[in-house]
Amino acid sequence: MDISRRKFLKIGAAAGGSAACAVAAKAEARNARQPEPQWYGMLNDSTRCIGCKACMVACKKENKLEAESTLGEKEALGEQLYDAPRALSEHTYTLIKMHGEGEQEKTFVKAQCMHCVDPACASACIVGALKKEDNGAVKYDAGMCMGCRYCMVACPYSVPQFEWHRAIPSIRKCTLCSETRLEKGKPTACAGVCPAGAITFGRRSELIKIARARIDAAPEIYLDHIYGEQEVGGTGVLYLTKKYVAFAGLGLGDFDYKPVSGLTESIQHRIFQYFIPPIAVYSILGGIMAYNQRRKHNAGIEGGDDEY
Amino acid sequence: MNIKALPLRHRFWTPNVAVLLFFMASGVVFAYFRFFHGFASVTNLNPAYPFGIWIAFDVACGVALAAGGFTTAAIVEIFGRHKYHALVRPAILTAFIGYFLVGLAVFFDLGKYYNIWHALVYWNGTSVLFEVAWCVMLYLTVLAIENLPNVIEQFRGKVALPGFLSGLNGPTDWLLGKADGFCRRTMAFFVIAGVVLSFGHQSSLGTMMLIAPYKLHELWYTPLSPLLFLTSAVSVGIPMVVFEGTLAAKFFGRKPETELLAGIAKYIPLFLGTYLLLRLGDLAYRGVLATAFDGSLQGNAFLLEFALFAVPYFVLKRRRSRQNPTLLFLCSLSVICAVVLNRFNVFLIGMDMGPEYSYFPSVGEWAITFAFIAFGVLLYKIGVNYLPILEEEH
Ligand code: SF4
Ligand code: SF4
Repeated sequence: MDISRRKFLKIGAAAGGSAACAVAAKAEARNARQPEPQWYGMLNDSTRCIGCKACMVACKKENKLEAESTLGEKEALGEQLYDAPRALSEHTYTLIKMHGEGEQEKTFVKAQCMHCVDPACASACIVGALKKEDNGAVKYDAGMCMGCRYCMVACPYSVPQFEWHRAIPSIRKCTLCSETRLEKGKPTACAGVCPAGAITFGRRSELIKIARARIDAAPEIYLDHIYGEQEVGGTGVLYLTKKYVAFAGLGLGDFDYKPVSGLTESIQHRIFQYFIPPIAVYSILGGIMAYNQRRKHNAGIEGGDDEY
Repeated sequence: MNIKALPLRHRFWTPNVAVLLFFMASGVVFAYFRFFHGFASVTNLNPAYPFGIWIAFDVACGVALAAGGFTTAAIVEIFGRHKYHALVRPAILTAFIGYFLVGLAVFFDLGKYYNIWHALVYWNGTSVLFEVAWCVMLYLTVLAIENLPNVIEQFRGKVALPGFLSGLNGPTDWLLGKADGFCRRTMAFFVIAGVVLSFGHQSSLGTMMLIAPYKLHELWYTPLSPLLFLTSAVSVGIPMVVFEGTLAAKFFGRKPETELLAGIAKYIPLFLGTYLLLRLGDLAYRGVLATAFDGSLQGNAFLLEFALFAVPYFVLKRRRSRQNPTLLFLCSLSVICAVVLNRFNVFLIGMDMGPEYSYFPSVGEWAITFAFIAFGVLLYKIGVNYLPILEEEH
């Protein structure tokens, strides 16, 4: 009996183990999505930005976003004293931040949704409330969302924001002005107001050409790298930086060139590939169960104990 | 094999129940704020930590700690160790309560909780959460079916509804009879389905945070995570049975099932050993073991987690220590803490979403979590009191 016991445990362990192993061990990214030529995007040139925050104001107006007090007076005094918000929030879709510690050169950089080519948020969303549109914008559908906030976990740039203060909260993030402007043939609100030409709106494919031309024309000013061309599988919002200022220092992570959802999606895919792994585990367990019952039946101890 | 499970029929209103109700009541107060004044009024959640203890403990740990159900069912029903039959019903009941509470906790944690049914309708197959949601829903159904025989056994042939409902006695009894037949014919199917579904979502929970390669610490970010979650859940199954069995014996004044628990405890080192081997192998293969000793919060949290897993493995390998009820209980507790800490590490402590924010659960978050635990204990008490779950003492 002891021998058979060990054998069964081994069979069981092997069955479960190999099914899970097949899933986990050789997990590799599926083919990354390719950018489409008609997608819109923006080129944020940090060498040109003067930090006037006109784009932030334009964004607030366009999306009818509440002004934010970051001084704490709103709660304490019942009136708002304004200072610039310090982080993206449900009221702030885009933010100009100054980077550069101590004696370092200061650089102003815009933070916003990157409208990724292969968006992690869309891959993660349980109900598909976040979707890549035909115009390149990653669009959010509040009516579909369940408010699980998995998209916030997934986004490598921590862009999606949750309405922590509302009884019925939604996710909020930059829309690329998809509905309010793009579909009417107008550029994004922020790009339209920038007085320094730091934000260029256009087709993503064109923007890459423009960025390349700027780098080639002034290699003494620009770092020879277009951020977002490849990072996390490509983004719709691209960045240029000064020659000696690394992107990582500007809050733009030093990310791999593959989508962050590659691993989870391939594991998922393997588990559910034609349902073979679950069915296999099911059959093996069923076989073991049937075998045990027959064995006991033959031994005349059905439903009872045997000695182990 | 003539031992029968019977309802305990103890006095229900004990001081312990009052304590449970107190916890639940305080949870309800905070729940009011959460549902009518937003998350900010109760929780410390923030843009960098969108998942707090309601996900890390109530959901991730809840699912893992309910693993006693499928492990016991598999050992007894599939691998034919009928000797441990007495442990199945309490384990399945606890698992049902556990998953029921997980569902409830999700409801609390969803911003748009009234959209919870969207998971049934709008399918996004690339989402790990989608898979988790489906497996949990299906497994909860399976657990309900697995618990059905207890209800049938208790009420069949003696349905006596109060007052004007008494007219329904006949039909109800007929229904119970039908259900009985259904259960008898199909139980094997559901037992196996329960195990397969558990495999599915236990491992998927391990896949969940792999969507965030730049946020989750490398000690936990591994493609092996699904397998590690599965094997650690299996490892904590029997310790949970020991834990609950010991406490139930103490609180219901029953004779502890020392021999039975010591017997089934021999599987613990087997499962734990498998898990530890995988865990160490993975860390070594990826060459990240050194980061465990860098003195950071994450490194220390990992070391503690690992010790909580490893110590009981070595202790319980010895037959003598398994037969010592106190030692067995403590070791089980250690495995339980290890799994809880592991889930916390993956969902909270190991997540670094940016320097501007930190997170520690608020009083309200704790209160609601404790309310869930209290509710679970209360449901268990009701269950064993009025349904044939625990076997007669002999
Ligand atoms: S930046 Fe974040 S929110 Fe925006 S599309 Fe990419 S993953 Fe989604
Ligand atoms: S919070 Fe909403 S949009 Fe984000 S993942 Fe969940 S359901 Fe999708």
